[in-house]
Amino acid sequence: MASAGVTRGASGAVRVVKPIFSRDLDEAKRRVRELYRAWYREVPNAVTLFQLDITAQQGRDKVREMFDKNKHITDPRVIDMLVIKGKMELQETINVWKQKTHVMRYFHETETPRPADFLSKFYTGHDP
Amino acid sequence: MAARFVRFVRGGLSRSFNFPNRSVTFVQARSEATTTETRPTVRPKDAVTHNQLSAFGEYVAEMLPKYVQQVQVTFFNELEVMIHPDGVIPVLTFLRDHTNAQFKNMTDLTAVDIPTRQNRFEIVYNLLSLRYNSRIRVKTYTDELTPVDSSVSVHQAANWYEREVWDMFGVFFANHPDLRRILTDYGFEGHPFRKDFPLSGYVEVRYDDEVKRVVAEPVELAQEFRKFDLNSPWEVFPAYREPKDSLKLEAGDKLETK
Amino acid sequence: MAGVLKKTTGLVGLAVSQNPHERLRVLYTKILACVQAMPPDAAYRKYTEQLITERFNHVKTEPDIEKLEKKISCGQIEEVITQAENELSLSRKMAEWKPWEPLVEEPPPNQWKWPI
Repeated sequence: MASAGVTRGASGAVRVVKPIFSRDLDEAKRRVRELYRAWYREVPNAVTLFQLDITAQQGRDKVREMFDKNKHITDPRVIDMLVIKGKMELQETINVWKQKTHVMRYFHETETPRPADFLSKFYTGHDP
Repeated sequence: MAARFVRFVRGGLSRSFNFPNRSVTFVQARSEATTTETRPTVRPKDAVTHNQLSAFGEYVAEMLPKYVQQVQVTFFNELEVMIHPDGVIPVLTFLRDHTNAQFKNMTDLTAVDIPTRQNRFEIVYNLLSLRYNSRIRVKTYTDELTPVDSSVSVHQAANWYEREVWDMFGVFFANHPDLRRILTDYGFEGHPFRKDFPLSGYVEVRYDDEVKRVVAEPVELAQEFRKFDLNSPWEVFPAYREPKDSLKLEAGDKLETK
Repeated sequence: MAGVLKKTTGLVGLAVSQNPHERLRVLYTKILACVQAMPPDAAYRKYTEQLITERFNHVKTEPDIEKLEKKISCGQIEEVITQAENELSLSRKMAEWKPWEPLVEEPPPNQWKWPI
C-alpha cells in the first residue's frame, strides 16, 4: 500500500458520471424554464437600461430564438452547462457590466449573410 | 536546512539520511563541470533532496490512500501528487493543516488541456510550505462536463485562479462563491485555452460607423491561413519521446518516474 | 512566569500566549481523543499519534517555554499552538472523510502518462 508510483486500489465498475446540478432531464428542463423566465422578465429592463433601439418584443423573440437554438440537446449535463452560461450572461446584463455593443451582439445587425448557392459564392470571389 | 528536512518527513519514513553526502555530491558536481567542459551543462543531480521529496510523497500517499493515485518526483526535484478529483478538498486540507506538511500558500492553480485523453483537462495546484521551505504540486483531472470541487474553502487564493480556469478552459468548479468570467470580454463565446479553439478565434471586432458602436463579426480568413501545422517543427522533448509499445510499468516499487 | 513572558511574537495577528502549556495540553488531548476513534491501522492515526504524543511529552516534561520551543523546534510556541489547532480541525475532518479507505477509483489508462 505504501508503494507509490503505481496506481493502487481496487474499483473500476461502470463509469458513473457526476451530475453538475440536475439528476435527470426533468430537473434540467425546470432549470431551463427558470432561466427563460428570468430572461423574459429582464428584457424590458435591459431595453431601457441600455437604451437599445429595439422593442421588448424583439428582445423576447431573440431570447426565444437563442433558447430554441439548443432545443435538440437532451443530455442533462450539457443543458446544465448551458444554463450556467446563460445565467452568467444574465447576471452580466442585469448588473450592466455589459455595454450596448455586447447586448446588440446577439442581433448580428451588421453581418451580411454568407453566400449559400454556387453563383453567389462565385460572385463573392473566394471559397467556401 | 538539512535538519529541517528530517522533521519534514519525520514519522513517515524509517530510513535515515546521510547528510555528509550532500556536500560530497555538490563538490563532485563542481569538479566535474570544470574538468569536462565540452559536455553540455546539466544541472547536477541532487539525490538528497530527491530522496526527501520521494519519502514525503510516500508519506502523503500512505496517509491518503483513498485519493492519491500516484506520486512522482520529477527530474528537477518537484514533488507531484496525482489525485482523484473527489479528493481535491481532503488532500488540499490535509496538506494545509497537517503539522508535517503545512502547505499554507497556494501559489498557482491552472489547467492543462490534452484532448486525446478521456479526461482531457488536468487541474494543477501548486502549493508552498513556508514552514518547511518546500513546494508540492497536486494534480487531478476532469473533462468538459464534470464539475470539480472548488478549493476556495481551503485556499482563498483559488478564487480568481478558478475563475480564470473556468474562463479559459471551461472547467466548472462546484460551490465556487463567485464563478464568472475574468479575462474575456462580455459576450465572448468559447474557451480560448482549449486546444480545439482556433488560433484566430471565432469573431473579429471592429468599429462600425453606421451603427456607431463596436461590432463583432465572424472571422473570415482565407483557407490557407486556417490550415495549422500541427506537427510543430519544435519537437519539445525528443529525448523523452518513448518508442512505441515499450516500457511497461510493472506493479511494484517504482517510485520515481523520470 | 510573568517576568519572562515576551511582549510580541513578531508575527502579525499572532498574540503572545499567556498559558501555552495549558492550551497545548487541551489541544493535544483533544487531537489524541479524536485520532483514537479511527481504525488502528490507519496511517493518519499512526503518524499523527506518534507526532502528537512526542510533542505532548515535551510539553509535559519541559516547563520552560524557550527550551520547549527548542525541543519541539517548529517555531515559537504560539505557532505550535496554531499548528495544533489546525491538526485538531483536520483530524475531525479526517474522521469524516475516512481517507484510509482504498482508492475510490483508478485513473483512466494513460491519464498520468507524460509525454503523451
